[in-house]
Amino acid sequence: MELKDFIVVFQEATGLLLDGLWVTLVVSLLAILFGLLVGLLTCFMGRSKNFILRGIAAVYVWCIRGTPMIVQAFLVFFAVPQLIQVWNPAFRIDPVTAGLITLSLNAGAYMSEIFRGGIAAVPNGQIEAARSLGLSQLRTMLKIVLPQAFKISIPSLVNQFIITIKDSSILSVIGMADLVSQARVYVGATYKFFPTYIMVALYYLIIISVLMVISKMLEKKLNYDKKN
Amino acid sequence: MTRKIKVTNLQKNFDDLEVLKGIDLEIEEGEVVCLIGPSGSGKSTVLRCLNRLEDPTGGEIEINGHMMTDPKVDLNKAREDIGMVFQQFNLFANKTVKGNIMFAPVELKKMTKAEAEEKAMQLLRRVGLEEKADVYPHQLSGGQQQRVAIARALAMNPDIMLFDEPTSALDPEMVGEVLAVMKELAEGGMTMLVVTHEMGFARDVADRVIFMSDGYIVEQGTPEEIFGDPKEVRTKEFLNCVL
Repeated sequence: MELKDFIVVFQEATGLLLDGLWVTLVVSLLAILFGLLVGLLTCFMGRSKNFILRGIAAVYVWCIRGTPMIVQAFLVFFAVPQLIQVWNPAFRIDPVTAGLITLSLNAGAYMSEIFRGGIAAVPNGQIEAARSLGLSQLRTMLKIVLPQAFKISIPSLVNQFIITIKDSSILSVIGMADLVSQARVYVGATYKFFPTYIMVALYYLIIISVLMVISKMLEKKLNYDKKN
Repeated sequence: MTRKIKVTNLQKNFDDLEVLKGIDLEIEEGEVVCLIGPSGSGKSTVLRCLNRLEDPTGGEIEINGHMMTDPKVDLNKAREDIGMVFQQFNLFANKTVKGNIMFAPVELKKMTKAEAEEKAMQLLRRVGLEEKADVYPHQLSGGQQQRVAIARALAMNPDIMLFDEPTSALDPEMVGEVLAVMKELAEGGMTMLVVTHEMGFARDVADRVIFMSDGYIVEQGTPEEIFGDPKEVRTKEFLNCVL
C-alpha cells in the first residue's frame, strides 16, 4: 500500500463517497429531528394519566430497545410492505424512506428515555415554586421544567445523536446509498479496501467532531448552574 | 378585621399514616401567626394543604374567599394571592434573580415586562440585593437566595404569605438577615403564617403562636401566654427542649 493508492482512491472515489456522505447526513439529521419530536411525544405519552397512551409509549420503547436495528430495518423495508401489499399490491417503499423511518423510530425511543430522565432530574421544588405562584401545570412544564430538563439531557442527547449518525450505516443493508454503501460499491470493483475505508472513517470522524464542537458551545451557553 | 384563612377539621393522611387529625384554624387580616412544634407534628403539612400543594384528605379550607377544598375551585387563580416561601428556597435555576421575580407577574399577565422589572428592582432594594439582579441563584448564599425567594413571592402582591421553615436550611449567620426581612413584612401589615423553629422570632413578631403535636393543635395564644405560661404538658415539654 503506497501513498499513490490513497491519491488514486481519493481521485476516483471522492465523487461516489460524497454522494453517500450526503445521504448519510440528510438521513441522520432528519432522523435526529424526527427522533426528537417522537421522543418528546413519547415521553409525554408516558407521563399521561391515560393508561392507553402510557401503554403505547411503553410498548414502543420496549420493542425498539429489545430488537436490533438491522431487524427493525428489515421489518420496515421488507416485512411491513409485504403486509400492506396484501391490500394494495402497488405499494412500494424506497430504501431511503424506509431507512429514515427506521432510524427516526429507533432514535425516538432512546430519546424519550433521555427526556424522561431529564424531567425526573429537575427538583420537585422547582415545580412547587411555580405552582405556588399560580402557574398552571402546562406553563410550569414549558417554562421551568423543560428548559432545565433539556439542559440536563444535552450530554445524553448528543451521545444519542452520535449513535444515530453512526448507526445510519446499518441501513446500507436495505440498499440505502449512504457512505458505507457507496464505499462497498467502490471496493467491490477495485478491491482497494484500505484507502477507501480509511477515507470513510475520516468522514465519520469529521461529522461527529463538528457535532461535538457544537454541543460544547451549547453547553457553555447554558451554564447557569456553574460557578463563574 | 376580615378573616383571611378559615380551616375546619383539616385531615391529611399519607397512605396509612395520619398526619393531620382535625385542624381548626382562623387567621385575620394582618395577623402574624407562628406554627411551632416538634418535627413530624404536621406543621408543614398544614401549610402545604392551605395552597393545595398537598391534597387534604378531609375538612374545609377557605382562603381569601376561595374555597380551596371545593373541587371546582380555580387553584391557579387562588394561588396568585397566596405567596409561599420554602425551606429550600426553590429559586428557578434557569432564571436570573430578576428573572425569578419577574417571571410569574409577566407570565400571568399581571404586569408588562417593564412594570415587572421596576417592581423586581424595587423589591430587591427592599431585601437589600439590588446589585444581584442579574446573577443566577447558585451564585448567591442561602440567606440571599431566601431573600430573593421572598421578593419573588411578593412580586405577585399576595394577600397572604406562607413561610415553610424559611431559615431551617440556612447557616446560622444568615438566619438574621432573612428574619429581618420577614419582620419588616410583618410590621407592614402582611398576613403571615410561619412554620418555624426560631422561637425568638415567634416571641418578637408573632401576634399568635400555635403549638402543634402529633397532628393536633395542642395549644395556642399570644407569645406571652405560650412562652411565659404554657398550659399543656406537651407544650411545656417541647419548650423545655428548645428554649
